[in-house]
Amino acid sequence: MSARPRKKRGRSAKRAARQRAATSTATWIDRKIPYLELLDEAGLELIEDNAETVLEEIGIEFRDFPSALELLKNAGADVDGERVRFPRGLCRSIIKASAPSEFKQHARNPERSVMIGGDRTVLVPAYGSPFVRCLDQGRRYATIEDFRNFVKLAYMSPGLHHSGGTICEPVDVPVNKRHFDMIYSHIKYSDKPFMGSVTAPDRAQDTVDMAKIVFGDDFIQENTVLTSLINANSPLTFDATMLGAATVYAENNQATMISPFLIAGAMSPVTVAGTVTQILAEALAGIAYVQLVRPGAPVVFGTFAAAVSMQSGAPTFGTPEPSQIMYVVAQLARRLGLPFRSGGSLCGSKIPDAQAAYESANTLQTSALAGVNFMLHTAGWLEGGLAMGYEKFIMDADQANMLAILLGGVDLSENGQAMNALREVGPGSHFLGAAHTQANFETAFYRSSIADSNSFEQWEQDGSQDAPARANAIWKKMLSEYEAPPLDPAIDEELTSFIERRKSEFDDRDY
Amino acid sequence: MNDDDQNLEATEDEDIVLAELADDELVEQMHDDLYDGMRDEIEEGSTILLDRGWSAEKVLNEALVGGMKIVGIDFRDGILFVPEVLLAANAMKGGMAILRPLLAETGVKPIGKMVIGTVKGDIHDIGKNLVAMMMEGAGFEVIDIGINNSVEDYLAALEEHKPDILGMSALLTTTMPYMKVVVDELVNRGIRDDYIVLVGGAPLNEEFGAAVGADGYCRDAAQTAEMAPQLMAERREAVCE
Repeated sequence: MSARPRKKRGRSAKRAARQRAATSTATWIDRKIPYLELLDEAGLELIEDNAETVLEEIGIEFRDFPSALELLKNAGADVDGERVRFPRGLCRSIIKASAPSEFKQHARNPERSVMIGGDRTVLVPAYGSPFVRCLDQGRRYATIEDFRNFVKLAYMSPGLHHSGGTICEPVDVPVNKRHFDMIYSHIKYSDKPFMGSVTAPDRAQDTVDMAKIVFGDDFIQENTVLTSLINANSPLTFDATMLGAATVYAENNQATMISPFLIAGAMSPVTVAGTVTQILAEALAGIAYVQLVRPGAPVVFGTFAAAVSMQSGAPTFGTPEPSQIMYVVAQLARRLGLPFRSGGSLCGSKIPDAQAAYESANTLQTSALAGVNFMLHTAGWLEGGLAMGYEKFIMDADQANMLAILLGGVDLSENGQAMNALREVGPGSHFLGAAHTQANFETAFYRSSIADSNSFEQWEQDGSQDAPARANAIWKKMLSEYEAPPLDPAIDEELTSFIERRKSEFDDRDY
Repeated sequence: MNDDDQNLEATEDEDIVLAELADDELVEQMHDDLYDGMRDEIEEGSTILLDRGWSAEKVLNEALVGGMKIVGIDFRDGILFVPEVLLAANAMKGGMAILRPLLAETGVKPIGKMVIGTVKGDIHDIGKNLVAMMMEGAGFEVIDIGINNSVEDYLAALEEHKPDILGMSALLTTTMPYMKVVVDELVNRGIRDDYIVLVGGAPLNEEFGAAVGADGYCRDAAQTAEMAPQLMAERREAVCE
């Protein structure tokens, strides 16, 4: 018998191949399904008209930030003290004139750079929790060690395209210096794009200066390497902290996400239509301001909406009304020609239980179908954002992978049509051995890392674990296997000496 | 590309000629070929070993059963997928077709024979098919009598094929009690102990299996293929005593 060229395969080759397949990362999701839209043209025009009335008649306050008042006045707004009223259409025309409909946020690894806007979706870890939670230690304040851990987990999660920002608050580091450690962690332990500090203008400037070390001074004047979160202080207010940070980033051509952040019923009216009107008014004012600071600076229309519990005043998540808000605002953002940020795995549950899963799934599905471009809070969110969960992060990251497939649409290619499989198998029998199945099974269906689909007996034999218990084992394994992406030692050294110098220039403060 | 990659490429494209391999290398290669579901190669490898004077029993145990054990472990651990195990079982079947007549000639006890089918009223057979596939992969001769089998169908198949194992499967809670009808009839006829009776299907459990008088409840295909040889061995021991 003659020798045929054969590959060395068998068990070791298969195991290696399966391992490789699990670690491939898409840079972002290209949407190939329609948007789910709740309002028709007349409904949208009504909301837009009402928002213009809010801007014209009630106005927006720009607090403790005189330079903004000056800029807005020169652009034609009516400034009365800190109250700024806008002639109808002014904000929209400023935005339409210069705000890009999409932009590239560069990562230090060019293969990880993301496009934000259009038909793309970028999934980003949760942001801002003071606490962390894991099965082993329960709930406790977050530390810089936790922060690094989550940067590593996000780096290793193929469904997350971005390293995020304040993944959790490292409360063991002084308030006025922790931004150095956070930014450094994003740069050092990941090569995905990240978000900048926004808690003070000088911290925003430190972020930009650190980015200059990584990307080069000239590069960042022409390119966007930071996308940072600027919340409105709803209702109808922007404060000096947020305006200060937004100004620094815009001046440096870095992206901001102007996000009305509201708990409907407390910070906005109790109705969906009233709330989206307020969101649109706040966003129009904030985004117009950014375009006045630097025309063309990338800006994202953001929205964070929960609903208040009228029994307790607590925020609630995963309920239908905030979903309706998200669907409508996504439409409004598209009409404005801007990228849209919202959504995530939002929930009010304290632990990764059924409440957390239902609420998160509701919000994640809504975010995907509504057309969110930048999905902050995709993974880890617990307790209304008060806690970042290790197990929850792993469970959400699994969901993130699934969203990519949902948004990827239906394969109608010849292979996708599978006519040869239908012909081969015919009535009765089964498809498991069909040639088409053999050729496609490996990638045919999403395989969850969390779900247990075994028999009851097998599950029992494996320890009767629930999803969080399985997730617990996964994050520990991931952290034990983590390998840092290479970073030029010269850049690393320059960053650490910059941080050392800056930290020595002022005293530790906890405000 | 670095040197390591080049070396890797070289080994991946290396030409393998089964007949030129030493016995131990050939057995190892057959384990890989079973793993990859290469039926022609398994048939070729089995023939080569026989030509070198190996007994059919030795080929079966060392080359084939040894290889399928690895397949079974990796299927259980979620590394191998159903369509791959199907191919591996098919390759095993190819080897078994060559070995089975020789094993019979030399009086070696075959691994075992099984009659399997879904019970009357139940046409759901994907699970049953998976069990049949895994049992073939474990070296059993499997006679699949299909779906919707009455007592008479089972009895006729037992009479004709004289298997070691009778396997019954059901997906519906409304059809699963029929398993007891079949077992009761075996008892009536005094032939119940001539067979190992295995039952399986999604709505069953251990308790139900015992209640209908089966020897074992099979929760999934991989576990069935593990359990069946053990029950066969126990039975043979009991007979010897």
